Amino acid sequence: MPTVLEQQIHAPAPPRKWRVDLVVQRLALVGTIIGIWWIASLQMPHYILPGPLRVWQSLRTISANGDLWHNLAITLGRVAAGFLLATAIGLPLGIVLGANKRLGEFFEPIIPVMNTISSAIWAIFAIIWFGVSNATTIFVVFMTAMPLIITNVWQGTRTVNADFIELAHTLRMPHHKVMWKIYLPTILPYFFSGARLAFGFGWRVSLVAETLGSSSGVGYRLRQAADLIQTDQVFAWTITLVVMMAALEMGALRPLENHLFRWKREAESF
Amino acid sequence: MVSSGALDVTSPVAERDAITVDSVSKWFPSADGEPLHVLHDINLKVAEHSILAILGASGCGKSTLLNIISGILKPDRGRVCINGVVSEQFKDWRSVSYMFQEDRLLPWRTALRNVEFALEAASMPKAERRRKAQQALELVGLSGFEDAFPYQLSGGMRSRVALARSLVLEPCILLMDEPFSRLDAQTRSLMHTELLRIHGLKKMTIVFVTHDVEESVVLADSVVVMAPRPGRVRERVAIDIRRPRDATTPEVTRYIQRLRALI
Ligand SMILES: Nc1ncnc2c1ncn2[C@@H]1O[C@H](COP(=O)(O)OP(=O)(O)OP(=O)(O)O)[C@@H](O)[C@H]1O
Ligand SMILES: [Mg+2]
Repeated sequence: MPTVLEQQIHAPAPPRKWRVDLVVQRLALVGTIIGIWWIASLQMPHYILPGPLRVWQSLRTISANGDLWHNLAITLGRVAAGFLLATAIGLPLGIVLGANKRLGEFFEPIIPVMNTISSAIWAIFAIIWFGVSNATTIFVVFMTAMPLIITNVWQGTRTVNADFIELAHTLRMPHHKVMWKIYLPTILPYFFSGARLAFGFGWRVSLVAETLGSSSGVGYRLRQAADLIQTDQVFAWTITLVVMMAALEMGALRPLENHLFRWKREAESF
Repeated sequence: MVSSGALDVTSPVAERDAITVDSVSKWFPSADGEPLHVLHDINLKVAEHSILAILGASGCGKSTLLNIISGILKPDRGRVCINGVVSEQFKDWRSVSYMFQEDRLLPWRTALRNVEFALEAASMPKAERRRKAQQALELVGLSGFEDAFPYQLSGGMRSRVALARSLVLEPCILLMDEPFSRLDAQTRSLMHTELLRIHGLKKMTIVFVTHDVEESVVLADSVVVMAPRPGRVRERVAIDIRRPRDATTPEVTRYIQRLRALI
């Protein structure tokens, strides 16, 4: 047996190399941005552009008194609720629309129309319907995320390989198993990229919804800080959000994706 | 069953034939509107436990014929019987394995899990499924590659995984479309020996398509040569050589020459 090949296969996939020069580059980039920020802040009043130090202090204040974690948890909870709801409805709906040609053709125009409706409009409707409550933000996230998930899953359903279905057919595999063992794995990468997009969008629109129709959450606190001209707090909240999204992406989504789709051959980079 | 006596002429014959292809014709719709006549009046009997090879030029309808026998394609005329039962009424399809011309491995499953796939249609304890799949991979010489994904395997290895997947069901009838065409000569002759050994044990009926005349003579009890456009049976040659057969012996070469002349 070809042992060389065997070794290659059983060797763990080479992890993305920790390149020292890359780390240095990134640190230099962050340093440059903070430097420019600092120099610029020296020329301006602090309520227009607070300096890095001031923002850092404000960040420590809101994290020390629990304000930060409390509101972050509220917003994250709302985004998660809207997103999970969108997944629970969008995933089966996308599969059904993709698997059934007639239905798909009939409903096709709805998705682009829904995508053109601005999240601000959903927010206004939500306030009319739900008032100032959790439901408002959840609804806006839901209405933004769902079309994205449906579209992607729908597209994924179309790529299901007829050869695999035929194979399952010769094995007389029951229909629900075909769904589970062939449709779902085919759709998963599409679903994943849709869900990712939906989560990112959902997160952003949740802030809009919270500034308009909520009395808690990061969006609400952002607006409050702006109203009171606490610009350093606005900056602090913004930085928190950026850091959290980056951590979520690199700490959870990227590794999960790498694990789920390890069967995909990585294109050799040139 | 109540015997209807002398009038029931089909049943004694049907009992001995695993597969009967009865005046089967097939047309495919084509772009220019004129239906493409792919199979014309095919008649074929495959005795139980025997091995039949189908030879023929590319495009003469060999895969289409296997698709019809496996029941995934309906003939436009004629019918197919499996174990004496008309294929529309035949129930035990899981005892009929079909190894497609393409390997059709699910890219998101490892080699082992791809073999297991065949067993997942029915319900079976996971441990037993795993054990059987493991054995099947061993049989085709791929132990050690259980956890490899299809993209990590060579073409020949992939078709061996596909072979393992069709053997793992321990079928009574095994249909194979160019099963060894992507293997190197050495592995191929190894697989020939292996297939004949399994056949000796399980005695399944085998129908396989090949472009390799030598392979057909070494393996088969009889060889059907098909003619193209429309596909039909040109000749059926019984190979009367005792096994194991050596491709270099004069009697084998004689058959090879005879078949070459027919193609
Ligand atoms: N689904 C289909 N629709 C239309 N035409 C088809 C279809 N499948 C096969 N054909 C046509 O039928 C003919 C026979 O095809 P088939 O795949 O059975 O050939 P084959 O003998 O297996 O060839 P090869 O040795 O190259 O595999 C070809 O001309 C092909 O173009
Ligand atoms: Mg073919």
